[in-house]
This record gives sequence, C-alpha cells and structure tokens, in this order.
Amino acid sequence: MGITEGTRAAEAAGTPYTVSPAAARRRTLLRAGSYAVPAAVVLLAVLTADRARLADQFARLSLAGTMFPEVLTVALLNTVLYTAGGFVFGLVLGLGIAVMRLSGVRLYRWLAMAYIEVFRGLPALLVFVFVGVGVPLAFPGVHFPGGVYGQVTFALGLVAAAYMAETIRAGIEAVPRGQWEAARSLGMSHGRALVSVVAPQAFRIVVPPLTNELILLFKDSSLVLFLGVTLQDRELTKFGQDMASASANTTPIVVAGCCYLLITVPLSVLVRRLERRNHRMR
Amino acid sequence: MRTHPGSPPEPSTPPPAIEIRGLCKSFGNKDVLSSIDLDVAPGEVVCVIGPSGSGKSTLLRCVSLLETPSAGRVVVNGTEVTAAEVDIDRVRRGVGMVFQHFNLFPHLTVLGNLTLAQRRVLRRGRKEAERVARENLDRVGLADRADDYPARLSGGQQQRVAIARALSMEPRLMLFDEPTSALDPELVGEVLAVMRRLALDGMTMMVVTHEMGFARQVADRVVFMDAGTVIEEGGPAQVLEAPRHERTRRFLSRLLDPLTVPGPARTRQEPAPAR
Ligand SMILES: Nc1ncnc2c1ncn2[C@@H]1O[C@H](COP(=O)(O)OP(=O)(O)OP(=O)(O)O)[C@@H](O)[C@H]1O
Ligand SMILES: [Mg+2]
Repeated sequence: MGITEGTRAAEAAGTPYTVSPAAARRRTLLRAGSYAVPAAVVLLAVLTADRARLADQFARLSLAGTMFPEVLTVALLNTVLYTAGGFVFGLVLGLGIAVMRLSGVRLYRWLAMAYIEVFRGLPALLVFVFVGVGVPLAFPGVHFPGGVYGQVTFALGLVAAAYMAETIRAGIEAVPRGQWEAARSLGMSHGRALVSVVAPQAFRIVVPPLTNELILLFKDSSLVLFLGVTLQDRELTKFGQDMASASANTTPIVVAGCCYLLITVPLSVLVRRLERRNHRMR
Repeated sequence: MRTHPGSPPEPSTPPPAIEIRGLCKSFGNKDVLSSIDLDVAPGEVVCVIGPSGSGKSTLLRCVSLLETPSAGRVVVNGTEVTAAEVDIDRVRRGVGMVFQHFNLFPHLTVLGNLTLAQRRVLRRGRKEAERVARENLDRVGLADRADDYPARLSGGQQQRVAIARALSMEPRLMLFDEPTSALDPELVGEVLAVMRRLALDGMTMMVVTHEMGFARQVADRVVFMDAGTVIEEGGPAQVLEAPRHERTRRFLSRLLDPLTVPGPARTRQEPAPAR
C-alpha cells in the first residue's frame, strides 16, 4: 500500500529531478552572463589598445624572420637535447631510488627518502647553480664530461629523479597485492615477480605522469642560462632573451615561447589520451 | 565417491602432503590462528569451512608461506617450510594456489599466463611450455581461449584459467581459497566441475569453501574452524549431517537458512519511505 501512495505524494511535491520554473530562469541567465562578461572584456581591450604599437612590439615579422633558422637548429635543438639528457638520467636514477624506497633494507629506504626530500625541497635553480658554480669551485681543474651538456643533464636529472622516484613508487604500489601473491605462489622470486608481472603493469600507470614530468623538464631546461653558456650552447630562453635585448623588442621572446608550446602542447594532448586509455582499461 | 587404497588411515600410510603442528599466527597483538594441528594425506581432498574471519585464508596462506607463521611447524611435501634456511620459491613450485579473485596477469594472454612461470621458473623452452599450457587449458575446457586476454573472459572462465595456470607448474598439492565466492551463481558450477575432476584424478587438495554441496560430494574430510581453532573434523557426512559441536551446528543452520539470522538483509526489501 505504501508504495503507490508514496509515489503519488512525491509527484505532487515535485520530484528532486525536476526544477521549478524560477530556478530554470535563473540558470539560463547565469549561463548567458558567463559568456557575455568575458566577451565584453575582450572587446574593450581590443578597442582601447594601441594596436599598431603592440603589433610592432610583440610581433615584428621582419625581426622574427631574422631568428630563423637558428631558433630551430640551435635553440630548440639544444632545449630538446638538454631535456632528453635530463629525462633519461633522471629516469635511471629515479628507478633506482624507487626500488630502494620499496626495499626491505631499512638503510636503503631511508637513503631514498632522504634523497627525495632534499631534491624535492630545493629550487631547481639552486641545484643548477650548485652544479655550474659550486662543483667547479670545489674541484678546480676538473671538467664535466660533455661540457655544458653534461652539466645540464646532471642538474636536471638530479631534480627530476626525486619526482620520478615518487611517481614510479606510486605506480608499483598501485598494482594490486594479488598480482605479487599469484606470481610468488608460482615460485617466482621477488625480483622475477617485479620484472615480469608488476613492472609491466606499473609502466602503464606511470607513463602519463612521467610525460607530465617531461613537460616540466622542458621548461626547467631554461635554467641553463644561469650556467653562462656559449653562443652554440644557447637554448630557447637564452636565445630569445639575447635577441630581445639586442633589438630592444619583445618579438624574439614571443617566438621562443611559441617554440616551447610547439613541443609541450602536443605532449599534454598525448598525456590526456594515455590517461583516457588507462581509464578505459580499468 | 573416491576410494583410497590406504583408507581408513593406518599407521603405515605414506608421509602426509601437509603436516601442520601447533601453528599460530598473530597480526600485531591479534591472534588469528591458535595452535592448529592438521594433516592432509597425499591424494586427499580436505574442505575447510567456517565463519568469516575464522582464519581459513590465513591457514592456507601459512601453508604457501604468503604469511609467515608466528609459531609452530608446517611441513609440505616432506620439507619443513618453517625452517629458517628453506628455499621458499622451491617449495612454492610444488604447491598450486587458486585465489578468490583469480589474480590472472592482465597484461598477458591466457597462454602467456600459463607459460610465464614455466619458462622463467622451471626454465622450460617455449615449445614445451606451450604444450603443457595447452594440455592444461584443455583440461579446464578452455583450449580455444589461449590467445584471449583475461579481461575478455567471464569470471568462471578466468578462474578455470587460474586453475590451469597453477596446474602448469605440475604441483603435488593444490590450495583453493574460496575459488567460487567472487562468481555469479550461474558460473559456480563450471569451476566446481573442474575441481571435482581434479579430485578424481587424485590431486591432493585443500579447499576453503562455502559450497556445502561440493564439500559433501568431493571432500574426504571436512574441517570446521572458528576463531582461529579447529573445532571439529571428520568425514563430510559426519561433520555436515551430524556435527558434534554446538558451534558447528549453529554455523551450518545459519548457512542453510540465512533468514533466521536477524540482519539488514530483510529490511532492504521493504519499500523506501516516500518523502
Ligand atoms: N594482513 C593482515 N593484517 C591484519 N589482520 C589480518 C590480516 N589478514 C587477516 N587478518 C585478520 O585475521 C582474521 C582472519 O582472517 P582470514 O582472512 O584468515 O579469515 P577467513 O576465515 O578467511 O574469512 P573470510 O571467510 O571472510 O575470507 C580476520 O579477523 C582478519 O581481519
Ligand atoms: Mg578468506
């Protein structure tokens, strides 16, 4: 008896799934406002700005033209090389630290934790200054293998390893315990279970966050300008800065910025794809 | 159902496949197993029943050393696994384990699941490993699913693959921890059928289960556990039809007629109050 009466009473009162007309009107107004306000701001900016001066300052095409091809063949190439070096070095180091972090030996766990805390807690710039200025002072006459390239790889990698170690550890821990147990009860050793069963599953989990880390490294590679580099070692930021001061114009910085986005935007699209794919596989 | 050359047990029977003496296990200060004594003879099927939290899983996991016993002795296939210098991985090779949630490797095909440990642990060649794998898939009725990924299979099929995976290591003893508890009711039968055939082939089995029909038909012995101790054990007819202990009786009657227990199961069917 309770069911039908109850349902009818609920209909009369308006079920929680429909809204009153007044609430619906309010919602429409809010939606219209959320488009109208930003449109008005943009229109105002366009109408009041000195467009000719802005175009000359930020997008002087003749000046942008003189940056090519060096902005690609030297600056962008160096940015990519520095980033790749830092990423690979950081990945190897981070993998080692992650394994130490999960080790049964307390000393290893402690060392890994200390490393992570120190390098996550320091500004990347300080690490660059330490590698570029501090190390040569401490070991006079010793040269970094690979020159500036070696220094950047080392400094970027030291910082990246701390973040990557935490990402990799989280990935390994996200693999269900039952996978370890199934592998071990088939007679696999701890290491064999890690390599053949857990790591391949963890890999899929950590690829998106590691790609994010790669994007961060792209931007951090600009810190190399504090190491005092030669013309041939300049990357995008330093290159743009030098040209901007020489020409007293902002255009080179805008061009350098566009070059970063050329790399980072496709990468973050890729991250989103990978994340969606992982989500579907759950 | 099954006849054993040595039953009823005589003093001259072969050494047990599993020998458990004074086994204790505690997590922190919580005693989960207190002084368990239990033998499983070669070829014997022992079903372990008991209420949730009574320590059934922990008992199995102590035999396969997924948990380290706090005290006592466990001897598996003649090797004392609780000894300090034992090679755990070598002992585990002789013990197949089947889990409630299958725990198949999702990144490998069915064939990959069955060949991985054969190749990496037993060092079998690819051909040999695949031959053994296909033989065992055939045994569980899934010869045609070798190239599928586990996610493409039903729960019942996944559990049969898990059984075939354990069998591919040619264990002398199989442990099952509630192998049908995660399955939809209509899929339980196919898994129990595979297990029954395994029992008829003479496999030594220790099965934690809530399937009383299976225990009655297939088990040589039923062990009832409660609160970390063995309350009683005996033939299935004796333990299930004429239990000696009050706690066993209460457990069985609750199992047969769950509605006698006051709980949320009944109130859920009442209509929700209208707002
Ligand atoms: N790793 C662990 N840490 C702490 N307590 C645990 C752990 N594993 C099991 N326990 C506890 O030990 C007790 C027995 O657990 P166990 O899983 O062996 O019971 P069970 O008889 O298998 O129950 P179920 O029928 O629900 O599977 C439970 O109270 C559980 O909470
Ligand atoms: Mg259990």
